[in-house]
Amino acid sequence: MAGKSGRSISATPENTLKKTIFSWEGVLVILFIAVNIFCMTISDVYNLKNVLREMPKYLAEIFLLLPMAFILVLGEIDISVGSIVCLSATVSCMVCNKGIPFICVILVGILVGTACGMVNGAILTKFDELPPMIVTLATQIIFRGIAEIALGSGGSVSLSNADGFRAIAGRVGIVPYIFFLVIIFAVIAAVILGKTTFGRRVYAMGTNRLTAYYSGVHVKKIRFLIYTVMGALAGICALFMVSSSYGANTTTGSGFEMDAIAMAVFGGISSTGGKGNLAGGIISAFIIVCLRIGLGQVNMNPQLILLILGVLLICAVALPNVIAEIKNARKVASRK
Amino acid sequence: MSEYILELKGITKIFPGVKALNNVQFQLKPGEVHALMGENGAGKSTFIKVITGVHKAEEGEMFLNGQKVDFKGPRDAQAAGIAAVYQHPTSYPHLTVAENIFMGHEIIKNHMIQWKAMNTEANKLLKELNADFDATAEMGALSVAQQQMVEIAKALSTNAKIIILDEPTAALTKSESEELYRIVDKLKAEGVSIIFISHRFEDMYRLASRITVFRDSQYIGTYDVDGITNADLIKAMVGREISDLFPKPEVKLGKEMLRVEGLSRTGYFKDVSFSVRAGEIVGLTGLVGAGRTEVVESICGITTPDSGKVYLEGQEMHIKQPSEAMEKGIILLPEDRQKEGLIMSWGLGRNVTLPTISKYAKNGFNDEKTERELSKNLLEEVDTKAVDIFQPASSLSGGNQQKVVVAKALSQEMKVVIMDEPTKGVDVGAKAEIYAIMGDLAQKGYAIILISSEMPEILGMSDRIIVMCNGRKTGELSREEATQEKILELAMEKGQSGKGAK
Repeated sequence: MAGKSGRSISATPENTLKKTIFSWEGVLVILFIAVNIFCMTISDVYNLKNVLREMPKYLAEIFLLLPMAFILVLGEIDISVGSIVCLSATVSCMVCNKGIPFICVILVGILVGTACGMVNGAILTKFDELPPMIVTLATQIIFRGIAEIALGSGGSVSLSNADGFRAIAGRVGIVPYIFFLVIIFAVIAAVILGKTTFGRRVYAMGTNRLTAYYSGVHVKKIRFLIYTVMGALAGICALFMVSSSYGANTTTGSGFEMDAIAMAVFGGISSTGGKGNLAGGIISAFIIVCLRIGLGQVNMNPQLILLILGVLLICAVALPNVIAEIKNARKVASRK
Repeated sequence: MSEYILELKGITKIFPGVKALNNVQFQLKPGEVHALMGENGAGKSTFIKVITGVHKAEEGEMFLNGQKVDFKGPRDAQAAGIAAVYQHPTSYPHLTVAENIFMGHEIIKNHMIQWKAMNTEANKLLKELNADFDATAEMGALSVAQQQMVEIAKALSTNAKIIILDEPTAALTKSESEELYRIVDKLKAEGVSIIFISHRFEDMYRLASRITVFRDSQYIGTYDVDGITNADLIKAMVGREISDLFPKPEVKLGKEMLRVEGLSRTGYFKDVSFSVRAGEIVGLTGLVGAGRTEVVESICGITTPDSGKVYLEGQEMHIKQPSEAMEKGIILLPEDRQKEGLIMSWGLGRNVTLPTISKYAKNGFNDEKTERELSKNLLEEVDTKAVDIFQPASSLSGGNQQKVVVAKALSQEMKVVIMDEPTKGVDVGAKAEIYAIMGDLAQKGYAIILISSEMPEILGMSDRIIVMCNGRKTGELSREEATQEKILELAMEKGQSGKGAK
């Protein structure tokens, strides 16, 4: 039914193939290929088998990237996740050493993370004027503090029986379990964010929370849920950390929150909220993982690797702006 | 010396994708108040920005006192004695009034700001305007009207000879507008030339001596206020005749939909009771700050009332948040379109379907195809002036944005629609269209609450009028008995100074 003036409004979407190729994700795929070629040229041992062998310790962080992407799309930030990983790893090591069945150890690890996430979520929804950065800074200190108290003077705990954790570090052929798990989780998360009503509401909240609230979005429920899931996945991340180091100490998971944020931002997810998608985040995560493995293989100083990643990050953040400026300038020029 | 203090000829301004101004002209006589009128999106604001040097026109010339000028930026315009007071005061809320007035041209001696001199000077300017606040007050603590006074003082502090007022009365109450009229008269008497943009005909008749009308980025004409009838002026602005601005249909009222009993919220409103029937439009009016918005926000669960009951179709409701209100069938179309009504960077279609995505979703997955069709139909139903459903809401004019907000309410089966100032900042053509939609809704059996400060709108559209003052309901008038005087009397009450309730 057309309006009184008979004006018709088009509802046909543009052809998106060209858009996809020239999108930021398209750029990232090319970059991913470039990084792999680069690594193969600098390192003789950079091949599929070796990469997959070294991958697990880096892959665990991708569990953090997924919910972090949701939080960033909300326009918020959670910097307590590294500490949640530490606390969760510590507690699961300790209960494992008590000799309880391994399935319970896994549950405890996830539950500890979930509980921490719920604390964040509860504080943030109860007092929704508080900035998430400050709240999670406080819980970052608290969670790691609890872990340090539990760890006591030694500052670390080692597994007395690592059978269970060794099992989850297993492989199918040359591919580690964690790889499959990461891919499954990543696909689920990407679909939720990109294709479901839940995802749409997250974008709405990240772009204009007040409008979303007035439009009937359950703002509090969604925020609470996301922070809780963040905690749960931090628990899973912690379990895989333990499975690669057979223990936990006061520095476990330290800096992970920044790694996760960096991967997301590199993947085009804006930290101001409402922009980006998980496809970009996941590709960029693998770019960073591959780069780290490759540079690690040629024995590059880890600090230098960090420096390179930092420079890449700045380029990644600046590039879309530069492209937009060029496009704009062209548009104006062509109109004249 | 030229007859005109300011003259613009053949101005064309192109933005990527649109010609915002197409060969327009304008002449301002010394000491006159010149109204610039036109629908939203007609190019008035762009034109103002060309005058003040914010935008550079692609074509055209500008003469100041007969001299050709070429502004490189706002500073040049300021130096030439042109100052603009924008619709939304662009102030620094945490700084003092004096700091705001002298922002950018502080009184400086030896690289040090002369606070004392600045405050004295600011107070002198404020006194000239009869302001009742001090220069050391914090900007954010002032009312919109007072902030506007500061903006005018700021313009005077730069010794402006031409002052541009961009919709200054949009956010003001009646008495505050009177105060503004007085200031404008005073400036005029002092020889300042004023360009005045407003959608209110009242402002124009009260102040202006000449009117220039823009439509669709083009110059339509310049008229003497005394020499043109209201109908002709509207026709010039809209480009067609509007036979009936308030197409209020005769609707047979249905059963009672919403009843509010003794609703109170400490500090905001007290003991408010009323009811709305299906097909009825109830006007809720009063001065700005009378507590109208607060009442409906409580009904919709945005805030929680301290006491009182709300019934929907006879059932008592306990609503804690807007989502629950919408599930029950009550929707509030908020006053502030940009902050509360729309997601400005989103496409129109997504904005329309945001409240109802779950309804068409399959197992939680968005059904984009259905969404596209539905939003297209709804946007056409409210006659939105848009190219496609993917263009961002920010690309529409105010009136069309409001239509999108209305379309949001139509995307689901609603029983009660509450519209808070639906025509604020909307031009006359779009206003008529919004009223028509409102009439349609009533005919379809919606119960409608219309909050508005605009008298003609309230009188023209409401079946019943509820008047509030200082957080209390002071009266209820039927369509037949309501007059502007009666409403004002109730809205101001005895002993009230009429400066708004805050």
